[in-house]
Amino acid sequence: MQHTVSFTHNDKQTPVEVSTGVLLSDAAHLAGIDIGQPCGGQGRCGRCAVQVREGDVRRRSTLRLSPDDVEQGYALACQTVVEGDVAIYVPPQEKIERRLTTDRVVAEVTVPADYEYLQDQTVRRIHLELTPPSMDDQTDDWSRLQTAFRLQHKMERVACSVNLLREMGEVLREGDWQVTAIVETSRLTDEKTCKLINLQPNHVDEYSPLWGCAIDIGTTTVSVWLVDLMSGQVRAQVAEYNGQIARGEDVISRIMYASKNGGGEELRQRVLDTINELLETACKRVKARPEEVVKATIAGNSTMIHLFLGIPASNIRLSPFITAVNHPPLMTAREVGLKIHPEASVDCLPGVASYVGADITAGVLSSGLDNAENVTLFLDVGTNGETVLGNRDWLVTCACSAGPAFEGAGVVNGMRATTGAIEEVWINSETFEPTYRVIGGGKPKGICGSGLISLLSEAFITGIIDKAGNVNLMASSSRVREGAHGGEYVVAWGAESESGEDIVISRVDVDNLLRAKAAIYAGFTVLADTVGVPLETTDKVLIGGSFGKYINVEKAVQIGLLPDMDWSRFEFLGNTAVKGAYYALLDWRKRERITEIAKRMTYIELSADNSFYEAFTSALFLPHTDMSKFPSVAEALEGKVNK
Amino acid sequence: MPIEIPKDKWTGSIRAVTIGGTSAEGGTRAKSVTVGGQTSMPYLHYEALTPNKPVIAIEIKSHKPDDWSPLLAEAWGEAMAEPAQWAKKAEEAGADIIVLALTLADSPEDAVRVVKSVLSGTGLPLIVWGPGQAEKDNELLVPVSEATKGEKIVLGICEDKNYRTIVATAMANGHLVQSRTPMDVNLSKQLSILISDMGMPKDRILMDPTTGALGYGIEYGYSVMERLRLAALQGDAMTQSPMIVTPGFEAWKTKEAKVGEGVPEGWGDWKARAINWETLTAIALIESGADVLVLRHPESVKRVKDAIEELTIPA
Amino acid sequence: MALSGIQIYKLLPQTNCKECGFPTCLAFAMKLAAKQVELSACPYVSDESKKQLAESAAPPIRLITLKAGSEVKAGNEVVMFRHEKTFYNKPGLFIRVKASDPDLAKKVAAADAYKVNYVGMDFSIDGFAVEADGDLTSAVKTIRTVTKRPLILMTKDATLLDSALSLLAGESALIYAAESSDYEPLADLAKKHKAALAVKADSLDALADLTQKIQAKGVEDMVLDSAAATLSASLTRNTQLRKLALKNVRSLGYPIIAFPCDAKDEGIAAAQAIAKYAGFVVLSEFKPELLYPLFVLRENIYTDPQKPIQVQPGIYEINAPNPESPVLVTTNFSITYFSVANEVEGSGLPAWLVVTDAEGMSVLTAWAAGKFDAERIAKAIKGFDLASKVGKKQIVLPGHVAVLSGELEEELPGWDIRVGPREAVDLPAFMKQALN
Repeated sequence: MQHTVSFTHNDKQTPVEVSTGVLLSDAAHLAGIDIGQPCGGQGRCGRCAVQVREGDVRRRSTLRLSPDDVEQGYALACQTVVEGDVAIYVPPQEKIERRLTTDRVVAEVTVPADYEYLQDQTVRRIHLELTPPSMDDQTDDWSRLQTAFRLQHKMERVACSVNLLREMGEVLREGDWQVTAIVETSRLTDEKTCKLINLQPNHVDEYSPLWGCAIDIGTTTVSVWLVDLMSGQVRAQVAEYNGQIARGEDVISRIMYASKNGGGEELRQRVLDTINELLETACKRVKARPEEVVKATIAGNSTMIHLFLGIPASNIRLSPFITAVNHPPLMTAREVGLKIHPEASVDCLPGVASYVGADITAGVLSSGLDNAENVTLFLDVGTNGETVLGNRDWLVTCACSAGPAFEGAGVVNGMRATTGAIEEVWINSETFEPTYRVIGGGKPKGICGSGLISLLSEAFITGIIDKAGNVNLMASSSRVREGAHGGEYVVAWGAESESGEDIVISRVDVDNLLRAKAAIYAGFTVLADTVGVPLETTDKVLIGGSFGKYINVEKAVQIGLLPDMDWSRFEFLGNTAVKGAYYALLDWRKRERITEIAKRMTYIELSADNSFYEAFTSALFLPHTDMSKFPSVAEALEGKVNK
Repeated sequence: MPIEIPKDKWTGSIRAVTIGGTSAEGGTRAKSVTVGGQTSMPYLHYEALTPNKPVIAIEIKSHKPDDWSPLLAEAWGEAMAEPAQWAKKAEEAGADIIVLALTLADSPEDAVRVVKSVLSGTGLPLIVWGPGQAEKDNELLVPVSEATKGEKIVLGICEDKNYRTIVATAMANGHLVQSRTPMDVNLSKQLSILISDMGMPKDRILMDPTTGALGYGIEYGYSVMERLRLAALQGDAMTQSPMIVTPGFEAWKTKEAKVGEGVPEGWGDWKARAINWETLTAIALIESGADVLVLRHPESVKRVKDAIEELTIPA
Repeated sequence: MALSGIQIYKLLPQTNCKECGFPTCLAFAMKLAAKQVELSACPYVSDESKKQLAESAAPPIRLITLKAGSEVKAGNEVVMFRHEKTFYNKPGLFIRVKASDPDLAKKVAAADAYKVNYVGMDFSIDGFAVEADGDLTSAVKTIRTVTKRPLILMTKDATLLDSALSLLAGESALIYAAESSDYEPLADLAKKHKAALAVKADSLDALADLTQKIQAKGVEDMVLDSAAATLSASLTRNTQLRKLALKNVRSLGYPIIAFPCDAKDEGIAAAQAIAKYAGFVVLSEFKPELLYPLFVLRENIYTDPQKPIQVQPGIYEINAPNPESPVLVTTNFSITYFSVANEVEGSGLPAWLVVTDAEGMSVLTAWAAGKFDAERIAKAIKGFDLASKVGKKQIVLPGHVAVLSGELEEELPGWDIRVGPREAVDLPAFMKQALN
C-alpha cells in the first residue's frame, strides 16, 4: 500500500510516496533530506530522532529515547517504519549534542544545603579591637591580642607561630589596633583553643571570601577546588596530570623511583609543582592570591600522600604492605611546601591501608555509601581501581592496578577530559566511518576516558576489533591499517585534527584499555564473591573517576567495564575524592566521619589467592569470556536492539 | 533407611564430533571416529551412559625423529623411517586415529605427499600437526588441507596468535581444528569463541587444554579439564567441545621416561617406569574428561585401551 | 552449609575491637569463613553464635589417623573437585605383605628403606598391610623389628587380632575388615585397642547400615571398603561416597580404602584411586618403577590449586641452543613462562630461557612485589651456572622491567644486558633484529 510521508525540515515541507513498511530514514532520503546516522542505521546511536506529528508508524526500537521523547512523538528514523500517511518533523541536524538516555552526567557540585559557616567551619575570621597601649598600660602586644581574643571571642588559648609574632607589631599599629584575625579551632575537642593563622590590619568586609582548597592527589590526575569558606561555594575547579607521571605511570613505579637516590625528593617536588601551579591558576580565575588560601584538605591514595609529604613509601610495596602513616597529623603549608598561606593548616585525610587511601575514604563519604540502606557498589575508575562494597552496616574494599588508561594516559592519543578531547564516538557499521564529539566543539587533539570507552565499544560492536581486541585488518576501510604497534584504527585524519596528525587507537591502546577494564571488573566481582554478596543484589552502582563530564553506561557495559544491569542503577559521581575532601574542608563533622569510615572499612587483599587472576583473565575479553553475564551485549551483537 | 544416591541434573552436554571422512562424505577413510556426546561427568554410568568411548591416537612423524627415547625407537623399529608403514603399525597396535606431525624440514609439497601416503597406508582418520611455528604451520597446512578435502582431518595446532589461517582453510575444506590454549579455562573458552566467531561450526572443534605430564604440571591440566567439563555440562556452549590431550608427547619429554642412565635408583626399572609415566598421565586425564589421547608407546596404548574398556562398562 | 563472611559477620559482636588480631569484625569473619582462624580468637562472641558457627564447621568426612612411628591421615576433605578448594590429606600408600612369607623381614626392610626425591621433597611408603595367611603375631613381631610405619591387619580372626594388636600398644592400626556377618567381635577389638576399623559391604545401603551399628558399639574411627571390582565400579562407588559424605550423610562420612593390588592393571587402578577419593591405597608389592610415578601423581593431585600456577625455576632449552644463543629471563608464573616459551619455540630461534623463582607471579606483579629484581635475577644466573653454558653472555630482560638493566649490569659484570620487548609476542622479531 502507498502512503504519503510529509517531512518538515528547515521550515520546508517535502512530501514523498512510499509503501508500507519503508523506514523513515529511507523515506527521508527519497525526500532529499539528510538525516545523520552515525551508527549506520542500526538504532544504536539514537542520533536520527525525528518527531512524528501525525499518522501511524511502527517503532522497532525506542531504546535510545526517553519515555518523554516517545510521549512527544519522537522516533528513530532508522528504526521506524511507515504504516499510513504520516507527517514527520525533522529537527535541525545538530552534530551529536543531545544527551542519550544512557548518558550519566557527573552530578553538579552544590553547597551542602545545611552548610553554616559558623557551625561547621573550623576556620574563622574575626574582628578584634584592641585598646592601644600607653605609658600606663605597658602590656606587650601579644598579651594585648590574647586579651582581646578572650574578651571579645571567648578564646582562652591562642597559639601563634614565630613568623606571625615577627609581623604582629607592625600589623597592630598599621590598623590602629583594629585587626582582622583568621584562626582555626579544633571543633571536635575544644572551642576555646585556637591557632592564629593570619593577622591583618583593619576590619575586612565580613562577606568577602575566605579561601580554602580541596585537593585530590591522584596517581594520574591532580584536582584542586578553590572554595569560599564563607558561602561554601566552589569557585574554581582545575585539574592537571600529576607531574610525577614522567617518573612512572603507576604507584609501584613511583615507589621504586622514590627509593632511589634523591628520587623521593624529586617526586615530592614534582607533585608540589603540579599542585602549586593549579592553585595559582585557580586563584587567578577568582582574582585572589594563593597566599589568601588559609586551609587545605587533601585526599589521595596512600602512596601519593607519602610522596607528597616526602615520607619513604617503600614498605607500601613490600609484603606485608605497611604504610608509615594512615592518618597524618595536621601540618602547616609552610612545612609541606604548599604555596598558600604559610600558616594554613594542611589536613591529609585518613586512609585504610597501603592500597586503600584517603581518596577512597573521602570517596565513600561523598558518595554517601556509608549511609546506604541497601548494599551498594562504589567503583573508582582510576589508576588503582579501588572498589568499595557495603552499606551502613559494613564496608569492604579492595584495590587493583588498572593503570591510567581511562584517564587518557598511557594511550597514544589519549588526553585528559579538557577542550579538544574526543568524548564520544560512533562508528558506522557499514562504512566504518566515525562521528565524534569534541569537548569545546573545536578540532580534536586526542581522546579522553569517556571517548575511549565509547570508541572501544563501537570498534567492538562494529567488528573493527574482535573479542580479544585484535584489529581486524581484513575490514575494508582505509581507517583500519597496520601501524607501528600492530593494527590500528584512525578516528580522525590529520586534516581534521588540531595537530595535523592522525588520531588513532592502536592494538597496544586496546590492550591497555582491556587490562584496565578487566582489572576493575575483576576487582569488584571478586570482592562481591569474597563476602558472598551476589552482584545482582546490589542496589546501586556508584561510579567515580575523572574520565570526563559524563559516561555512557551502555558503552561501559558493552566493553565489560560495568556489570550488565539495569542502566537506571548506575550513577556517575565524577571525582569523588576531591568532592569528599571538599565536604571535609567545609564541615568538621564530615571530617570526623571520614575518620570513622576509615576505621570501619575492611580491606581485602586480592592477591591472597588466584581468584583475582581467574576473574581478570575471564574479563580480558570483550565484553567478557562468560557472555551469559552480558545478555544485553549479546543482543546488541546479534543486531537485536529491541529491549 | 536406604541411601538415596544424589544425581547431578546437567542441562548441557558435550558435542559429538566426528573425525575422518568415509567415501560417503567424499573421503577415503575406512571408518570415521566419533567422540563426545557425554551428558555427565566421566564414566558415572549411574547418571548417564558414556555414548562414545575416549579414543587413542598414535603420534607418528613425517621424518624419523632423532630425539625420541630409545625405548620408542625400539618399539617401532624400522617403520619409523616410513610414515605410511609407521601408520600401519600404529593401526595394528590399536590406534583409533593417526596423528601425523610434520616437521620444519618438510616443504609444502613434501607435506602433501606424506599426508597422502599415510592416508593410503591406513584407513584410520587423521590428525595433522604443523611443526609448531605459525608461519610454517600455515605454509604446510593450507596445501595439505586443500589436497585432502573430504577426509575430515583435524588440523593443528591452532593457538590464539595463529588461528585465523588454519580455521579458514579447515572451514573451506571441510576439516576440523584442534584449538590449543595454555592450561587456562578462560583462554580455552576465548579461543573457542574466536574460532566459532569466524563461522567455524562448533562440531568441528576439538579443545586442547594443553597437557602437563605427570610431575610436570599434570594437575593444572587436570583441573582445567574438570572445570571445562563442568562448565560444559552446566550449559556453557563454548566449553562443550571434546578434549584432545597429548600425554605421549609430554610424558616422553620428561627425564623420567626418556632416559635410563644417570637417574636416581629410586626411580626403578626404566622401561616399566617410562610406560607407567605415559600410562598414568593418560589415565589421570581420562578421569578428568579426555576424549582423544595422543600416545606414543604401543604398550601404553594397550594398557590405556584396556582401562577404557573397563571404565566404559557400566558398573 | 558453609557460611559466607557476611553471614558469619552477622553472628559476631560487630564492635571492631581488634582484640582478635584483625582490624574489623568483618575481616575476622572472612578469615573464619576461609577456615584460617579459630572462633576462639574472639573473646566476645555469644554462646548462641558459637553454636551456630560450630555446626557449619564440622568436617563431613571424619579424619582418621593411622599412627605408629610415623602417621598417615585420611579424611577431612571438603570438595568433590580439587579446584573448588583443595584436597587436603594425601592418601597413604601401603604395601601388602604376607605373614607366611619367609622373606618377610627382608621385603619389609627394603620397602621401608625406600626413599625417593621429587622437586626437593622426599617420599617414602606410608605403611604395610599384613595378610594373616600365617602366624600374624610373629609376623607383626618381625615387622616391628624392621619398620615403625603404621599397619593394616588383614584378618577376621579375633583371637589372632587381639594378640597382634596387643603388640601394637600405643599405635593406631587399621583392622581389615568388618562385614555384616562378623562385625561384632571386630568392633569390640577396635574399641579395646583403639584401632580403626575397616568396614566392607557391596552396597552403600549395607555400608551405611554397618557403620551405624559399629558406631553404636562405641567405635568412631572407620574406613570404608565398597568392594568394587572394576575401575568403573570403584569410580562410581567412590564418587557416590564422597558426594553423600559432603551432603552430610554421617554414616558414610569416612575415608575410603582401595586395593589396586587386586586389580587387573595395578598402576592404573592405583592412579584412579589417588585421583578419585581413596584415603588408603594398598599395593601388591614394592616396585619403585610404579611407586615413584604414584607418589608424583599423589603430590600433583594434592597440590593446593589456589596457589598460582608455577613452573619449576631453572634453565629451559628452546630449539637446541648453543653457547652463542641469547639468554632470556622471565618469571616462573606458568602463563608467563608458556607465552615466552611458545613464542620463542614457534620462532625456531634457539635460546636459553632462565625461569627465576618469583613465587609464581607474572613479570610486572613480581617486580612490584620485589620478587623479580636485579639481585634475584643475578642469583638465578649464577645459581644455574649459566656462565658455563654460554660464551656470548647476553641476557634479555623483559621490557616491563627495563629499569632493572642498570642494577643488573652491576650485579653481573661481564654480561651484556639487553632490554627486550614488553610482550612475548614481540620476542621473535626482537631476537631477529636486535640481537646478533
